Amino acid sequence: MDVIVSTLAIFWLLLALSFILIKRGLWIFNDVAKGLSMFMLEKALGPATDFVSGRSGSASTTWIIHGLVWAFASSTFTFMGLWLSHDATALHSFESWGYHPDSSELLYAGRLTALFGAIGMLVVGASLYALPKLCGTHLASESNATLVSLLWTLSVLLMFVGSQNEQILGITILPVANLLLTLASTALIINVILTVSEATQEIPFPAWLIVYAFIGNIAAVLAVFASGAFDEGVGQWLLFHLVGGTFFFCGLAGVSLYSVSVGSGNPLWSKSLVAFTLFGAIITINPMGSTDPSMVVDLFSLSSNDLDASSRDVIAGSFLMALSAIPIIAFSANMLVTLRGADAFVENPDAPGIAELNLGAWMLIPIAIGSLFVQTDALGGVNELTGISQSIDLMAIWLVMMPLSIGSALNILPRASGRHQLSANRSRWAFWMMSGGAFLGLLITMMSDFTDMALTESMAEQGASINMELRKVGSVMFYGAVIGAIFHCTNTISGQYRGRIMGGPSEASLSSIAIESYTLTGPTSIRKILASGATLDTEVSPSEQSEEEGAPTEL
Amino acid sequence: MSIEVPSSVDEFIQGEKEPASSGVVVVLGFVSMLSFLILYGILFPGRDMPVVSEVLPMFEGVFDSGIWFFLLGVIFGAFSIVATMLTEATSE
Repeated sequence: MDVIVSTLAIFWLLLALSFILIKRGLWIFNDVAKGLSMFMLEKALGPATDFVSGRSGSASTTWIIHGLVWAFASSTFTFMGLWLSHDATALHSFESWGYHPDSSELLYAGRLTALFGAIGMLVVGASLYALPKLCGTHLASESNATLVSLLWTLSVLLMFVGSQNEQILGITILPVANLLLTLASTALIINVILTVSEATQEIPFPAWLIVYAFIGNIAAVLAVFASGAFDEGVGQWLLFHLVGGTFFFCGLAGVSLYSVSVGSGNPLWSKSLVAFTLFGAIITINPMGSTDPSMVVDLFSLSSNDLDASSRDVIAGSFLMALSAIPIIAFSANMLVTLRGADAFVENPDAPGIAELNLGAWMLIPIAIGSLFVQTDALGGVNELTGISQSIDLMAIWLVMMPLSIGSALNILPRASGRHQLSANRSRWAFWMMSGGAFLGLLITMMSDFTDMALTESMAEQGASINMELRKVGSVMFYGAVIGAIFHCTNTISGQYRGRIMGGPSEASLSSIAIESYTLTGPTSIRKILASGATLDTEVSPSEQSEEEGAPTEL
Repeated sequence: MSIEVPSSVDEFIQGEKEPASSGVVVVLGFVSMLSFLILYGILFPGRDMPVVSEVLPMFEGVFDSGIWFFLLGVIFGAFSIVATMLTEATSE
């Protein structure tokens, strides 16, 4: 049976339907639906809404801070998982408490908390600020969005518990976590649609990317269940990648494109490339992510099936994954060119978040190509590259998705909360620790994966000792990501109380030769002023002195 | 005519800023502690340290992997995040 095309047809139909409904509304039921939805978001919650602030930007701030704390937790679980892959008994002392930590379980916990806790919450947080700005309106319900962050965090906490202990008191934990996540997602979708309905200007493409990140997530689940593909390995694999292509890719692209323009002060380079990114992300299959759809199986409590794709599915899947190169390259190119601008960087290039956005945009293409090879290999049943699939998956999380989400969040947070991070210097340290740790750690772990694959292929009876050494070095290197996450958390939390007020005088200097004021004595070019060490914050003051040659005073 | 002057101020006074040299006292105490521990090893070679030698075996088989060195850093980081939240929220 042709699972992929039939499921995608339903998925595209659902998205087209949602687009028509958003644009045309519900005819005479518009006002009733809006009123009822607002009632459900605020009044129906009773006194719970009084516990949170409904101040503009408060929801975004709460989501971003939660996301950063989850980034710390997920980096810790991933580090522990990587360590236990070479030293399986390192944490055996926990067994006296009835806890048996295992490398694969901890890596699974790291993936769940990184995807839904850190990246998910950072993307949602950034979206809750960016979307109303792009639509020229306010978020429909700040208080509901703030409350929902607690529900989302609870579901991620349950995901962590479920990844370590499948059942507690006879209850399977991960489906319960997924139920809470779906509840939170539904509230967010209603909030987002109500916000879009109040748009006072033409909705730009990055806003549509954000809208489809929320809608596409639910549409993907509905499509797979409507087509009956949820019980097949291919259907489960497809659901995993459709959610990856909509909620994660569209969400990241939307908030990144918004914040790259806001953060750099440059206009977004190409509107057409954003359109390509949007349509490409919806029509194609994003190859990034694991080859193993066990996350879908666990979250939806499905029966696990092998990825046994028919030849038509292999052709359709491989073709659609190869097509995804178009939106990925379009998104990456748009980001990089916007960052560089026409000639000068209008805003401060050292501002927190800019370096992360740059790294994510750079790493996107090579990791997407690597993922494409691994996924095509797995879908075709060749399984020659299965050995590196885990490392590629971790690279996609820690070198593309995490930098882009943290970069967007760090750019947006000061605008949402009104205060900058406490220290730009600490933020830069956090970037180097996180990016350096993740890059080197995962690269070295991948080297070990390749050695393992070569040994398996040659049917060697004993493993190479260098392999364990490489894994050890890789895990120690990855510890930098943990330290970076701690730096980001403390810097951001302190910044909320003691950070420089947004819009206040800038204290950041671009370099040691930056000058505070420049005296203009005659006509000159802007290039010449910049070359003299002036920055965009340098005050240019015209001098009243004349440059005419002096002469003796006539008496 | 005589004016009554209080014999003492009777007020608790505490400086707002920490003197730069106060850290030296803490470091001096720490160095002294290490010196006395070394001195104990020299004066009584081969003899277990009182109290410490009875407590340490409780942790045998617990912290026997290098990962604990890193996990201590994680625990320190987690506490620093919680402490930052609490102190920033409650400071005047």
